Amino acid sequence: MRTDLSYLPPSTPDEIRAMTRRAGLDLPEELMQQFIAAWPAFEAMVRRIPRDLGRAAEPAHSYRPLRIVRG
Amino acid sequence: MDPAFLTIAELGRLYDQRELSPVEVTRSLIDRIAAHDGKLHSFIRVTPEIAVAEAQTAERELMAGRRRGPLHGIPYALKDIVETAGIPTTGHSKLCEDYVPAADAHLVTLLKASGAVLMGKLATWEFALGGPSWDLPWPPARNPWNPDYLPGGSSSGAGAAVAAGFVPGAVGTDTGGSIRGPAAVCGIAGLKPTYGRVSRRGVFPNTFTMDHCGPLTRSAEDIAFFLQVIAGFDAEDPGSEDVPVPDYRAALSGRGRLDGLRLGLVEHWYAHGAHPDLPPAMAAAVEVLRGLGAVVEPVQLSSLRDYTDCKTTISIAELYAIHEKDLKTRPQDFGRILRNRVLPGALIRAEDYVQALRWRAVLAREQAVALKRFDALLTAGALNVADRADPNQPDRLVSSPSITMPLSVGGLPALAVPCGFSGAEGLPLSLQVAAAPMAEPTVLRIAHAYQLATDWHRRHPDLH
Repeated sequence: MRTDLSYLPPSTPDEIRAMTRRAGLDLPEELMQQFIAAWPAFEAMVRRIPRDLGRAAEPAHSYRPLRIVRG
Repeated sequence: MDPAFLTIAELGRLYDQRELSPVEVTRSLIDRIAAHDGKLHSFIRVTPEIAVAEAQTAERELMAGRRRGPLHGIPYALKDIVETAGIPTTGHSKLCEDYVPAADAHLVTLLKASGAVLMGKLATWEFALGGPSWDLPWPPARNPWNPDYLPGGSSSGAGAAVAAGFVPGAVGTDTGGSIRGPAAVCGIAGLKPTYGRVSRRGVFPNTFTMDHCGPLTRSAEDIAFFLQVIAGFDAEDPGSEDVPVPDYRAALSGRGRLDGLRLGLVEHWYAHGAHPDLPPAMAAAVEVLRGLGAVVEPVQLSSLRDYTDCKTTISIAELYAIHEKDLKTRPQDFGRILRNRVLPGALIRAEDYVQALRWRAVLAREQAVALKRFDALLTAGALNVADRADPNQPDRLVSSPSITMPLSVGGLPALAVPCGFSGAEGLPLSLQVAAAPMAEPTVLRIAHAYQLATDWHRRHPDLH
């Protein structure tokens, strides 16, 4: 059994508006309404990401300085 | 001779025998596009002057006995996120409607050097993600098997144009299935090569860590011809792998036998929730492969939902970074679908992105372990037949798991080839073959053997 964040309640429209503003976005109302309708499916997806990977589990992409130098 | 459905291999033989010429083929395909693309919208821009000039050059060289390689004199087209010097590259978006690149993408340089003939730029979902969309400067492409249906995406024009007999090959891009999906629902072959096998330099980014460029053609054999030209290391693409390019055509030898190969069948990905005609078509394909000598056994991997969650979380975070400036200054210029797929990236937290990256390594390792037991993995190329062309369809990016995304997460080479047709709609069904990183020869060998034993890839839509 893995742990994730799917137990959290979905964000409310006001919370979505606040998060969007904090991200520096100032959307016209029509576009904001569309986004408020779209976000819950994405939020549910992100909350299903497991949060209990081992301490040493590395991200899939690591910094490779040689590639930067070569490029 | 009508060249519309000749393969690259067949065209090459006919050029060698002087029975067809590149100019003749190019002019014929230009006429075919003019006659039929009005209802398919597969091209954003046809480039007939360039095509004829390149075909004339190829013809002179071939007549002089100077064959540059397998694509010499072969017409092809590019998804319109691949940059072409002096030719607009729009991303099928209002945001880049007037963008004319100064330089060619690296793979275009390779195609030019090969003597291939550029026919034009192809429709895509907006920036290879937002679609199908009806609110962009160009209409969405339609499926040649039935224009009431869509050709999948995001390499929508590439799938439609190759299936329609407009070009024998095209370049698409695949982040979560954008080559394999259109190939699957258009009844053609489409390869997502290993991540790092084909340079992405000069191609509009979608998700830096999962973008792949690759070919769509009408046979696995033609995929080998095409890949031979565009594969290779590019020091200016940070994701490019410095690994020698093998002779892909050599992988097609072996007289179509697969003796000794062990194939892992990921049946649980399509056993439930797929089109009802898909599991029987897959079972029949497995029997064909067994008949060719392969050992096929089931293998269990994580669920499609897990892979889709992981891939999409990474994707939308990277996408947002790409489009942040335009979303803040001109959000209304995005199509609705792309905008609502990119904006969520603004709300992905750093820890969400990093956890998804860590999960990607875990999921990729699970595939690597399976590929120690098996030479290749088999599954379906798409869970369903093509979607109806309905502007009111719900956005399925996150609501339905994808059967192509797992192999994007692994960065594995994965090839979709047709394996049947649905009874009710008469639309293509597809088989997907994947193998370990850089094992494109294994994937091509299996798919080619399957196509020597079946004729699904030899069926073509009637455009009249």
